[in-house]
Amino acid sequence: MKLGLLFVDELLGFYKSKVMIFLWIGLPIIALLFRFVSESSSNIPFTLVSSIVVSSLAGTLASVMLAVFIINEKNRHVYELFLIRPLKRRDIILAKFFSVYTCVAIASLIAVLAGMITDYATTGTLSMTILNNAGQSLATGLSMIAVSCAAGVLIGVASPSVLVGAILVIYGGNQISVIPLVPTLLNLQDATVFTIVLAGATAAGLLAAAVALFERKQF
Amino acid sequence: MTSNSLNDSNEFVVLRNVTKSFGSFRALNGISFGIKEGEIFGYIGPNGAGKTTTMKILVGLISDFQGEVSIGGYQVPKRKDEIHKLLGYLPQTVAFQEWRTVNHALKTLGKLSGLSDAEVEGRIPEILDLLGLADVRHKKISQLSGGMTQKVGLAQALLHEPKLLVLDEPLGGLDPLSRHQFKGIVLKLGQKGTTILFSSHILSDVQDVADRIGIINRGRIKQVGTLNELKSRLSSQKTVEVLLSYVSDKWQEFGAIKNVTTVEQPSPGRVLVKLEMSADEDQVVNDIVQSIVKLGIRVRGITLLEPSLDEIYLNYVQEAEN
Repeated sequence: MKLGLLFVDELLGFYKSKVMIFLWIGLPIIALLFRFVSESSSNIPFTLVSSIVVSSLAGTLASVMLAVFIINEKNRHVYELFLIRPLKRRDIILAKFFSVYTCVAIASLIAVLAGMITDYATTGTLSMTILNNAGQSLATGLSMIAVSCAAGVLIGVASPSVLVGAILVIYGGNQISVIPLVPTLLNLQDATVFTIVLAGATAAGLLAAAVALFERKQF
Repeated sequence: MTSNSLNDSNEFVVLRNVTKSFGSFRALNGISFGIKEGEIFGYIGPNGAGKTTTMKILVGLISDFQGEVSIGGYQVPKRKDEIHKLLGYLPQTVAFQEWRTVNHALKTLGKLSGLSDAEVEGRIPEILDLLGLADVRHKKISQLSGGMTQKVGLAQALLHEPKLLVLDEPLGGLDPLSRHQFKGIVLKLGQKGTTILFSSHILSDVQDVADRIGIINRGRIKQVGTLNELKSRLSSQKTVEVLLSYVSDKWQEFGAIKNVTTVEQPSPGRVLVKLEMSADEDQVVNDIVQSIVKLGIRVRGITLLEPSLDEIYLNYVQEAEN
């Protein structure tokens, strides 16, 4: 109940502070630019380019967003007015995670969808192979984003300043988000399924650590 | 109320031997005091004395401390969920997310306090009218002045009509009119039975509204009591002031009056007669009047001087410094 309220509240915050618009328009534009400025990618279907861009960029974006949001609000004492109300501390953290994940996931879907539309408009067709590859890339991308988000939350809760948080995201957050790629790198059968499971477990572990830390934090 | 009850008296808030350290710095050193239900308790002390730490412990923002604390019979921090339903808190630094309007902040915080949609919709205009914020209801809080933001902070604390209000420096940044309004609101809430703990550096404001006052310095409670109790405990301050109509040396005769310790004239025509603590001040004033008549001195007035809260505060704080 309270988690739902906080989640909707966070989404409204992203909408009102224009974060949503920048994400949902920005990510497809970057994918588009990437395709047109990179010669080597001009022969690759745009759907795949979008998936690659989403995988590499959206995770970093999500973890930086979360870490900066949390550190900033923590240091400005914004949470004090929430923490003295009858709600679970973990709901504050989980609402942040789910809202940023939802926003970035939607931005990723829009980017890939834009790729598919562009491919269809330019070639007049969309092959099943391209769609399958795009689907797998998107699943991997969304899995990596989940891990990045969870890492961003943990870094946000643990870091004393935005600068330290940004350094930790670049040092650690990005490396951890590669974990879901392990099944693909090992050429496992049903690698996508393993990727999703592994990402879920990693994200849950990171979130549990963040929640435990936030529960014990003295404000 | 529960098995966790720490007090048998009618004290709504109880702190017993509370100690809190930050590294090697001891912010609170075994403080103990209680606040009765419906009482307005003024909490004063210099910067860094431990006021904010006490309040943060009470509201559950700091849970890592030694000692016993209870609110309404519920032990802090164990029964945080129950306590948070009773509580309204205005922190010293009140901050909201930048994108929030006054209306949206109050809506969210009201709902999180357990109010229904209809209750929130009904309470917001009421509370905004009370605090003179009706005009800024749909403005972003980040566009408001410091004083207005402080008022929004007070609004969120009052919104759900809590049984206990904890206000950390609520008057900071408020203009004189707003301070006057605030004191009126606090007095009204006290009359309705709300228990209020508030800290302030503006001692006259504390004096105006507090039923009892606690003085803290360097993490230790120096005094707790009503203003009159604090005055009577300040032994060196029992003094009668005699204002002479003209300069005369005859005032020195007051020294012969029973229970008078010293007589001095700090400025021409103003005589201070200091009494023993055990003295019946009414009797001494009567003796002074008789002496004035006998000596044929003309006077403008005789006043039994009582220490102000400022003097009491300075006395206890300086005593600790020495």
